Amino acid sequence: MKKIFKIIAVSFTLLFGTSSYLSSHHAFTAEFDPNAPINITGKVVKVEWINPHAWVHVEVKDAGKTTVWMVEGGTPNTLIRNGINKKTITPGIVIVVRGYQSKGKLCLPRCIANGRDITFPDGRKVFMGSSGTGAPRDGSDPRERR
Amino acid sequence: MISEEDDHSQIHDLMAHLLDPAAEAIWDSAGFVITEDGESSLEPKNQEEWDRVLYGAKVISESAFLLSRPEVSKNREDWIAVSGLLKVVGDQAFEAAERQDVEALFEIGADLYQVCVACHQTYMKD
Repeated sequence: MKKIFKIIAVSFTLLFGTSSYLSSHHAFTAEFDPNAPINITGKVVKVEWINPHAWVHVEVKDAGKTTVWMVEGGTPNTLIRNGINKKTITPGIVIVVRGYQSKGKLCLPRCIANGRDITFPDGRKVFMGSSGTGAPRDGSDPRERR
Repeated sequence: MISEEDDHSQIHDLMAHLLDPAAEAIWDSAGFVITEDGESSLEPKNQEEWDRVLYGAKVISESAFLLSRPEVSKNREDWIAVSGLLKVVGDQAFEAAERQDVEALFEIGADLYQVCVACHQTYMKD
């Protein structure tokens, strides 16, 4: 399986070139607002390890009101490679997610955001997105800094 | 003569009504959801659910042929090459579904997404 994927990855590079492959992806701009950054601080209540995007549900309490944000991440494999896995992100821990709101912004029917990075209780900050999605180059993606 | 608008519509329909549902069948077949109450797997529970994955995998594989037709591909070599990757990934998904191997389907689901992204980055417009 890994051998086949390497062949696919090499094929992508040959077809599109690395810079093209990392440059943009329409999914971000179709769903999220690059001008609506948001910091979400709260307790993890649910994690969905599902392709093509993992989802982290974060319960935010503010002025007596509880809101659950659904935060979209990269593919599960991408998160695992970045050190985010079943052991490091578990229900009950409090995290800070930096990301961008969905274009609706009204939380109807749900509050949805695209996550860029997670800060864990020990202070560790980890990139939780996928490279080349068209999200703003905000410094959260280590591959953009190379 | 197919207009550019009709051409776009044809590709959009292929994606929306054929490839998207087929990809969803594969993506929905592997993974897990964790809450404070525990962990649940997305693994198909019966043969009917496995048949849905097999069907989706076969559609992905055969869509390589549909997308490679000259009227769709316009003989663009990179388009045809990426379409060919759908056959590779679709065949892998089919074999994994026949084995009922959810770990393989989870990995293949990520590969499938990369194939989608590679093409969208080049050809999909907002």
